[in-house]
Amino acid sequence: MTAPWRSLVLQPAILMIIGAYPAGAQVIQVAVERPLAAELGLSIGDTVRLGTRIDSMTSSAVVAAIYEPRPDPAEIAKRERHIRLHLPDLAALLGVPDRVDRFGLGLRPGVSPDSAAIVLNRGAFGYRVHVSAALASESSQTFLVVSRFHRAIAVITIVASAVFLLCIMLLKVEERRLDAAVMRFIGVRRRTIFGALLLEAALVAVLGSLGGTALSYVAGSVTNAYYQRFFDTGLIFSAITHEIVLFSIVLSLVLGLLAGMLAAWRLVRTPPLVLWGRG
Amino acid sequence: MNDWIWSIKSLARRRLRTVLAVLGIAISAAMLLDMVMLSGGIEKSFADLLTAKGYQIRLSPKGTLPFDTEATLPAAESIIRRLRQDPAIAAAGAVLGASLYGRGRDSLVTLFGYGIQPEGQGLYWLQAGSDLAPSDTNGVLLSSAAAGLLGAGVGDTVRMVGRLDPQVMTGSVDRKLTVRGLVHWVYDYRGQPSVGTVLPVMQMLAYGHREDRASLILVKAERDGHAPALAATLRTRFPDLEVYSVADLVAVFKQRLVYFRQLSYVLGTMSLIVSVLLISTLLTITVNERLAEIVTLRAIGVARSTIVRQVLIESAVLTIVGGATGLVLGLGTARYLDSILTSFPGLPAAFSFFVPRRESVGTAAVVLLSAGCLAGLYPAWVAARTPIAATLRSEAT
Repeated sequence: MTAPWRSLVLQPAILMIIGAYPAGAQVIQVAVERPLAAELGLSIGDTVRLGTRIDSMTSSAVVAAIYEPRPDPAEIAKRERHIRLHLPDLAALLGVPDRVDRFGLGLRPGVSPDSAAIVLNRGAFGYRVHVSAALASESSQTFLVVSRFHRAIAVITIVASAVFLLCIMLLKVEERRLDAAVMRFIGVRRRTIFGALLLEAALVAVLGSLGGTALSYVAGSVTNAYYQRFFDTGLIFSAITHEIVLFSIVLSLVLGLLAGMLAAWRLVRTPPLVLWGRG
Repeated sequence: MNDWIWSIKSLARRRLRTVLAVLGIAISAAMLLDMVMLSGGIEKSFADLLTAKGYQIRLSPKGTLPFDTEATLPAAESIIRRLRQDPAIAAAGAVLGASLYGRGRDSLVTLFGYGIQPEGQGLYWLQAGSDLAPSDTNGVLLSSAAAGLLGAGVGDTVRMVGRLDPQVMTGSVDRKLTVRGLVHWVYDYRGQPSVGTVLPVMQMLAYGHREDRASLILVKAERDGHAPALAATLRTRFPDLEVYSVADLVAVFKQRLVYFRQLSYVLGTMSLIVSVLLISTLLTITVNERLAEIVTLRAIGVARSTIVRQVLIESAVLTIVGGATGLVLGLGTARYLDSILTSFPGLPAAFSFFVPRRESVGTAAVVLLSAGCLAGLYPAWVAARTPIAATLRSEAT
């Protein structure tokens, strides 16, 4: 019962209305996706009428199953609703018997999809063989664009963060002007002061990146919870991988250290009397 | 004026930190501007696109959006006739969209075909040659991409093939048509090879015989302001069809691109927070450094309000300079970001996500300036409440 449902995703626009089941008529079975069933208040055993046009809703069908649709990023914004029928039933409904949009082939283990496609295309007569990976790559163009957009936004954010960090580090180090002046007066070497300020900058950068990581997990969870609810889907919208965390921490450490170095370098080059405000 | 000069001089004393702060505010302001442009730009651009030829209403098969599925509506001629009898309607035209093929030099090329009614078309601008006459069943209009693929120009003859049988690679309909003109199709994506014929010819190519069907019907109201009311009337008159006004379609489109709108709100808010934090932190530290100077001024009789004004002006100067730089930066980054997003497959080439408008620039400027002044409030309060005697004593030691 379950295998044929998977064999076909409904492609054409099918209209459906809820109605009474005509006694004695040949009834087809449909599987309705859960959001559509919830919207229409359908449950298993209910009868609906189907047709390709509003004036030809002649076929009766019984809801035989309610299924959870597979999360598909390409579908969520469209909010299209789907039902599934046995292939002969749909073909009869559309008036195009023994026709399909596509076949899915499962290869034996060890067979390369590319070479199988070449062999099948060589003898192709009225069809074209595509490898799933190539199709996936082609159909994911939209997400590649979104990904490029996200990357561009990330670059702007990184530049803004770097400037912000540099500014804060500069202010933080400049707050230590008097301390630095006193240390220089009592004979502490520039290198030691530079090292101390750098260590402080590193500590601030570490604490900041740890805080930022925690914040990103919270923001990611909120984003996922919000959009999963908003689109009624199980898709993951914000995925914080170990690589991303590592990249962010390393980047913020490097930026923090660079900013600290620049600020500390300016401070240790300034004469102690100027730092003390008497220069 | 003195207050402003004093504030500028005060900022100039700490050049590096001022430059960094201005740079930080500029980047945040650029991001804010981009996000304000994004949040309103999508609907503005889409509405402009829909009304490019002045048609404010679309009728499509029940349960579908225009050109969203392959569904078509029956009895198109009769619907058009009824619509054109309505005095509130200035023009109405049916459109049929279909996949077809053209014979190139040595192969078949895939094309998108529009069947149109030239007397009521809202889909193209003529670029070269002449338009189709309503009864011209031998003419065809080509997009520049289609002309390139077919290697044809105005006056040439091209062969169009409909209902291709993939098993024997021949079409059941094959028509020779003369290229009357080159046109720019308003809703085509970049490089889309589209052709247009009068509706009956496209119906023949699509179905193999004359079938009175259309993908959608475009309606132009006599007056722009009457379009929503006319759409409501048409909904009652044609219950078997979907009737969309521009506002309805913009609402659907907004729903589909809700992610970008929400992203613009989130990133815009974050940019604002960063600007506020930057200005606030910078000024608070600057005020703390200048406490001796501030209390000395207070001690010689300078009013508390003058000190507060000084700090707020510094904040405003930073915001204005940063904001102005950010405006230029924002327009540049918006063009770059727009070039990324408009490469979405299937998106009309004329569509823009980031639309620079006076309102969006004004909104971003007002929001940024208000946030900048708000950011100056805390350091101004710190400066104003500093006790004179205690601070002077501690500074002296």
